[in-house]
Amino acid sequence: MGDIRESLAPKRIALCVGPGGVGKTTVAAAVGLQRALEGGRVLVCTIDPARRLANALGLEALGNVEARVPAHKFREAGLAPRGQLFAMMLDVKRTWDDLVARHAPDRGHQDRIYKNRIYQQLSSALAGSQEYMAMEKLYELATERDYDLIVLDTPPTAHALDFLEAPDRILDFLGSDTARVLLAPALTAGRFGLKLFHLGSSYVAKTLSRFTGVEVLTDLADFMASFQGMYEGFKNRAAGVRALLSHPDVGFLIVSSPSPRSVGEALYFHERLHAESMPIAGVVANRVTADLWPQGAPLPEPGELAAALAARGMARDGDLCERLARTLAEHEVLARADARQLELLFRSAQGPRAVIPRLESDVHDLAGLAKLASCL
Amino acid sequence: MPGPSLLDHRLLVVTGKGGVGKSTISAALALLAASRGKRVLVCEVNAQEQIAPLLGAPASGGEPREAVPGVFTVNVTPRDAMREYGIMVLRFRSIYDAVFENRLVRYFLRAIPSLAELVVLGKILHEVRREEGGRPRWDAVVLDAPATGHAVQLLRVPATLLDTVPPGPLRRDAQWMQDLLVDPLTTSLSIVTLPEEMPVNEAIELDAAVRDVLGIPRGALIVNAMPDVRFSDGERARFGELERDPPPLGPAAQAARLQALRAEQASRYLARARTALDLPTVLVPLLARERWDLGAVEEVAASLAGSV
Repeated sequence: MGDIRESLAPKRIALCVGPGGVGKTTVAAAVGLQRALEGGRVLVCTIDPARRLANALGLEALGNVEARVPAHKFREAGLAPRGQLFAMMLDVKRTWDDLVARHAPDRGHQDRIYKNRIYQQLSSALAGSQEYMAMEKLYELATERDYDLIVLDTPPTAHALDFLEAPDRILDFLGSDTARVLLAPALTAGRFGLKLFHLGSSYVAKTLSRFTGVEVLTDLADFMASFQGMYEGFKNRAAGVRALLSHPDVGFLIVSSPSPRSVGEALYFHERLHAESMPIAGVVANRVTADLWPQGAPLPEPGELAAALAARGMARDGDLCERLARTLAEHEVLARADARQLELLFRSAQGPRAVIPRLESDVHDLAGLAKLASCL
Repeated sequence: MPGPSLLDHRLLVVTGKGGVGKSTISAALALLAASRGKRVLVCEVNAQEQIAPLLGAPASGGEPREAVPGVFTVNVTPRDAMREYGIMVLRFRSIYDAVFENRLVRYFLRAIPSLAELVVLGKILHEVRREEGGRPRWDAVVLDAPATGHAVQLLRVPATLLDTVPPGPLRRDAQWMQDLLVDPLTTSLSIVTLPEEMPVNEAIELDAAVRDVLGIPRGALIVNAMPDVRFSDGERARFGELERDPPPLGPAAQAARLQALRAEQASRYLARARTALDLPTVLVPLLARERWDLGAVEEVAASLAGSV
């Protein structure tokens, strides 16, 4: 083993991607912990709204700023790190606000944007906004801080690579010529003194307003107008993010569980990353049921188990042998089903891999994380 | 159990953490409702359709299609929903096509905050109140909602729009949708979880959001893949030593020790969920199945039959 660890060794950024519920957050934390143990200065950043990373790292809570995992947590787990481990959680709204503050020409402009209803929705509720801000934060951290490794845990997205596509989608809209053409009458009516009838003068805008209501468009035009001078700055930064992601310093780690649905989604992720020429550092299968019985050999009958129990001095009390036989048989059904899915996963997604067995207890501290990291 | 049964509601929303089995539970609830003579529609909003294939039927796409007798499925995508909604509002397909099928306009619409969620939810809720020949078209609509965060995002859209959008067509639609979502006679939202630490934590947070943010009537906590307690403490105490035996006893004891451990942990997380949530809990046993197919969903449905 050690496949994944080796492929991540030269990386400065590791992105954990994959379907929901497969343990991405935990794997991300384990990757970070491992490098910190080896001597790196590491940051683990999660954007999961469920705030589970704090849980696994034994921190009380995670905020928008980096917090160092305290030394006593390592001591309690019997670990002696040669490096340092930091963790943080992304605050989407704050990151948007920071980005606007960074690019706004003056304070008045900034406040005007903050107050706009379209902006408020964009920065908190718009689909893809979270993914965009994750990339923005990653860029900021990668260019302005001096971590040896940043591990990013991506949100469990139903839409595969939203974090690659969302920035472009949102920015294309913000700088879109279409929007300008559609809203032209409103935009040329004077930057801030919009009147409803100006919108109504465009046929397309008029039709759209029957759909959305005219004030949504007015808000939008106002927002686009205040955003106008800032677009270039945003665009350049997004281009920087894009360039950063395809850099060889970056490694994508695809995490999956052995469930058929997860494997299907993980393979889709793999295919898409591959198509986008993103550097894939490996595939991790998490929570795999261990196979306890030799392949092909018939499973034991209750009678055989009863004899073995008797030989060990355990009386044939009750139906223990039947329950043992049934439990082993059920375990093997699950193990074989997992093995079949893993075969499918690794056959289609070549490269470094790791199999993490289903652990006997949930990871809830650094010791548990270290144990998991040893499978990488 | 107080109040009407889950299946008495017209709209059953099913959500929970990713990977806990929401689609399986949604499909099982639909089978169960159908077995009680109801005509059911299961809606999903996935990029990759899950329910129809799970029931052994071809994917249904954007139009409801009968997967098994009494159970129809549909996969609602923003694009189809936008088109349907647009035509409904504008009344003329030609106007819609001229304006909305324009590549640039489509793009623009996608970027209007929350519009995609609104039309998707609108299409689903439209099915809930849809009538045919003077009676509701569906006796029950099951919404296999996205995972936690995305589900809240989707279901919060009407309320968000009511807060931010001035009077107009968008607001009118947001209003009837919100009215329907919070009506306790129509709607019931259930959370699916596994008896494990992270899913239970997330279920507890999600329930708080349902109560405090969404205001949607709460149904049940459905605990999926619950292992049964099948070994006594005395038996468990010996497994550690028996595990080192050669086959067949060694592996059997190991499997037994793992099963017992899992059952013990599960009952602890179940207890935690029960303490934290004032919701009726419904247990679905852990099934050892090689394949998740119609037979597996039927087995889940049968296990739900007594409690919903």
